[in-house]
Amino acid sequence: MPPLTSALGVDSRAVVAARCDAVNQAILHLAPTHILWIPSSTLKPVIDMVETRAREGAWVSAPLTREEEGIGIAGGLVLGGARPLLVVQDNGIGNALTALTTFAQPYHLPMLLIVSQRGGLNEYNSMIHTLCERVDDLLDAADLRTFVLDERVPIDRWATSIVGAREHAEMTHRPVILLVNLLY
Amino acid sequence: MTIPLPHDLTRLEALASIARAFPTEPLVVALGTMVREMLLVTGRQPNHLYVLDAMGLVPAIALGVALSPNARTHERVVGIEGDGGLLMGFSTLATIGSLRPENLVLIVLDNGQYAATGGQRTAASSLDLTAIARGCNFSTTDIRTAAGLSVAMSEAKVRPGPWLLRVMISPQNQPAPYFLPDPVELGLDFKRYLGSA
Repeated sequence: MPPLTSALGVDSRAVVAARCDAVNQAILHLAPTHILWIPSSTLKPVIDMVETRAREGAWVSAPLTREEEGIGIAGGLVLGGARPLLVVQDNGIGNALTALTTFAQPYHLPMLLIVSQRGGLNEYNSMIHTLCERVDDLLDAADLRTFVLDERVPIDRWATSIVGAREHAEMTHRPVILLVNLLY
Repeated sequence: MTIPLPHDLTRLEALASIARAFPTEPLVVALGTMVREMLLVTGRQPNHLYVLDAMGLVPAIALGVALSPNARTHERVVGIEGDGGLLMGFSTLATIGSLRPENLVLIVLDNGQYAATGGQRTAASSLDLTAIARGCNFSTTDIRTAAGLSVAMSEAKVRPGPWLLRVMISPQNQPAPYFLPDPVELGLDFKRYLGSA
């Protein structure tokens, strides 16, 4: 069955590219000192940009082995006056919950996690729905501040919302999770 | 493969020696008996970050501090972890190995046990932890005595790291009161010490 988006005249790849561009634009504006990431197929254009700019000296870019490790490193960086950014997938957010709730949250360490949202409509991997469709509920139950960027947010508001989420982390002295939906 | 027990060096003696060797360096202390015995030795210190929970995260936190701009005013950043905690966050050795922070010293006090939960065994006694760390670009030393610990720390202060010092200690714990302050205070104190707040 051909994609309905094509039949309807929707260029889904252009939509996804525009969302990734908005994420990249926001990251460039935020100018983090360190960007810590877990590989992600949907975030590949973002991680490619992060790695390219890191080679030019814009920031330190480092792959993580696990999400909770990223919370620990980012927390140490915040304590030492750096401005880290985490880029991870939501199907690994369970790995980060203990570190978030026993370190970043109680020690009041502001940090932004840009988390690619999977599962639900347009998801192509059947194994991902169970956890990913409930990630915002899990984060809410853990009292972790979460914002969502998906098709309900106009694309011209994405970059400013990402910057706003970082400012929210700073002013509330807490980690903030930004779920970004790059599926279409 | 190392056969670690018995060892005469206690955790308390090892912590006292570490605190003397690194009196002003940022020092990240693992949860449970490690924090409580460090407080017995030194009392609360502004250069110590007390990790009250988050088991296994000390190497990652110490790495973050070591990479931070405000660590530049210090020669070294030290993480004190147990063997159980190290194994819980084991993959961070790979991340440290890829980033190679020369100012990072990880000191692993290895009693072969999870002391805080009743002394259940860890897998450390059947592993060559320093060989694994060397594979992750650490300089390493296996230490069994107080004198050996002093020598190793002196070397780690002057030769570039990252360092992993595996210190074999006895399973003996000192009775010590719980330490239950507001973690916000602990984080803020440490930030102020580093000049970040």
